[in-house]
Amino acid sequence: MPKLTIDGNTVEVAKGATLLEAAQQLGVYIPRYCYHPKLTVSGSCRMCMVEVEKSPKLVTACSTEAADGMIVRTTTDKVKAARKDVLEFLLINHPLDCPICDQAGECSLQDYYMAYSLAKSRFPQGDKARRAKRRAVGPHLVLDNERCILCTRCVRFCAEVTKTSELDVMERADHSYIDLKEGKALDNDYSLNIADLCPVGAFTSRDFRFKTRAWFLKKTSTICLGCATGCLIEAHHHENAVHRIVPRPNAETNTWLCDHGRMTYKAVRAGDRLAKGVIKNGVIDLEPALREVASRIDEAHSAAAVLGSPWLSVEDNAALSRLAGDALKTENFCFDFTAEQGIRDGILINKDPAPNTAGAMLLKAARGGLTLEEFSRRIGAGQIKVVVTEARAAAFIKDVVKASGARLIVFATNKAQIPAGAYATLPYASYFETPGTFINHQGLRRRAEPAVEAQEGVKPLWEMVNKLAVYSGTSLRLHCAEDALKGINF
Amino acid sequence: MISVKKVNNKPLNLLERIYLWEIARGLLVTMRHFFVNLINPKGMPTVQYPEQKITLSGAARLRTRHRLKVRADGSPKCVACFMCQTACPAYCIRIEAAEYPDNSVEKYPASFDIDLARCVMCGMCVEACPEDAIAMDTLEIPGGVETRTALMMNKESLLRNLPGEPSVKGAANRLANEYLKARGEK
Repeated sequence: MPKLTIDGNTVEVAKGATLLEAAQQLGVYIPRYCYHPKLTVSGSCRMCMVEVEKSPKLVTACSTEAADGMIVRTTTDKVKAARKDVLEFLLINHPLDCPICDQAGECSLQDYYMAYSLAKSRFPQGDKARRAKRRAVGPHLVLDNERCILCTRCVRFCAEVTKTSELDVMERADHSYIDLKEGKALDNDYSLNIADLCPVGAFTSRDFRFKTRAWFLKKTSTICLGCATGCLIEAHHHENAVHRIVPRPNAETNTWLCDHGRMTYKAVRAGDRLAKGVIKNGVIDLEPALREVASRIDEAHSAAAVLGSPWLSVEDNAALSRLAGDALKTENFCFDFTAEQGIRDGILINKDPAPNTAGAMLLKAARGGLTLEEFSRRIGAGQIKVVVTEARAAAFIKDVVKASGARLIVFATNKAQIPAGAYATLPYASYFETPGTFINHQGLRRRAEPAVEAQEGVKPLWEMVNKLAVYSGTSLRLHCAEDALKGINF
Repeated sequence: MISVKKVNNKPLNLLERIYLWEIARGLLVTMRHFFVNLINPKGMPTVQYPEQKITLSGAARLRTRHRLKVRADGSPKCVACFMCQTACPAYCIRIEAAEYPDNSVEKYPASFDIDLARCVMCGMCVEACPEDAIAMDTLEIPGGVETRTALMMNKESLLRNLPGEPSVKGAANRLANEYLKARGEK
């Protein structure tokens, strides 16, 4: 365990830790471009230079291993001058693109220039080296070679994390530039992480391109519902619209985020978003739709059934269980979902596409109910005539419903989700608009927090269930989502 | 510590305290103006704004209605960087950005709205603009309109160069100039 001194403070670090990590432990910030905690050390940007006593030259903090008795200084004039000079070199050929660059506002070049340099450029603008400007390099990314500072974070990410190695540094010395290897396209499942990784505006997201400016964005910490991995994410939104999703690195699940997960926000503002009820194929107002659904349920009486959903939060599933138990007073309900769990690609994407299979199973444990086979059998045998469920969960009973002709009543957020042959569809607020608890494949309880407000009239699912119960003559007395959880040891 | 300034008011004399004489003196001023204007109505300094407008001199150092400057090809100089919208203390600017498919400037404003009803004419947008694309030198004073919608400026109504203004010279935008040069426009 080497013990060293940084800026007068002594710190003991694990063997093999670098000076930069040691400084981080002390809370001393060392500027960096190429260093990333989850990638190998490259030492190419030279921004993290620090002074070590008895060393003739400055050393890069990211690649120097901490040794016992080292005395490190990060604030001396020599270090400050080095940072300033490194920045001047990095900025020599950097274009004055900030007005049209999406990175502006969260760009390390801008930040470090303000913090460590503030020097006037000694290089005439006309003499700047020109490189290829914007170019789509895959379904999600735009590459602008002129803005690149060759930190190679992107190259290392593709080589080490996705192991697809699409990118490389071409040519040598001051001719070098980042480019795709021959015959490759940057289309791996994690490509948008490169836009996050890139400390400058060389790689930017095609999806977020020119939508808004980074400094307008408000940030809400929430979770990704793209699969059972349940990554922690941050939804960036402005004027009640989510504009992008970035990962919230954490030790338990994720440092990165997959492209599929990043696009999940699109459904919130999609053109097919439901705000009213749908009966067969006709859109009608919510209240008459609820009345219609309630009368169909009452008509079926004890042959009505409820199927939970691994796509719904624990609270909303609990509300559905209350609907079955307290309003319909039926035994025909099912929260039994099994799906193979586990990381499919060795990085993040789970084999189970539903975010809350574990949460639905928790309700099965608390409230009982039928197994999925028994539930399907009863539909097939005609014992169940009306099924209330969530749109995507309807896929589990698709075939038996079709064969038996049972009425399918689904809750859906978007029109595209509505399964073929659904009798009625009721809208509900997505989990970007309403909170909910989810349990990921590791059994970790995680909370989705609302980033934006739902369209007028669109209510969370538990509230829709509450209304539905009122229309069919029972009050569930659900005043908040947590009311549904009463009696569940959770 | 609040500094207090003592004002030594002159005590009123008898004539002033009688009050009537002072009233008559004031009315005399009013009457003088009345008769002078009656005899010589053209000498009145009053402007019947907005029906009647005075021509402001071109060198007038004042901030008047905004305009967006235009490049040689008729496109706006503005690159939708949102600096003016960010700087605006009255939240009266609203921009939507879009992408040029061919032009190397890449970004342009699909819409650029200024709500003059909210604008406080502070000129922060002009200060903030890195492309010298917005100016407040039209010498038009906004405000005298009958409907609020008449105060809503959009991209089309804002785009305009002043007579004799070179459209490319002085443009901060290197990419725009290069693009125009490549197309043979100066």
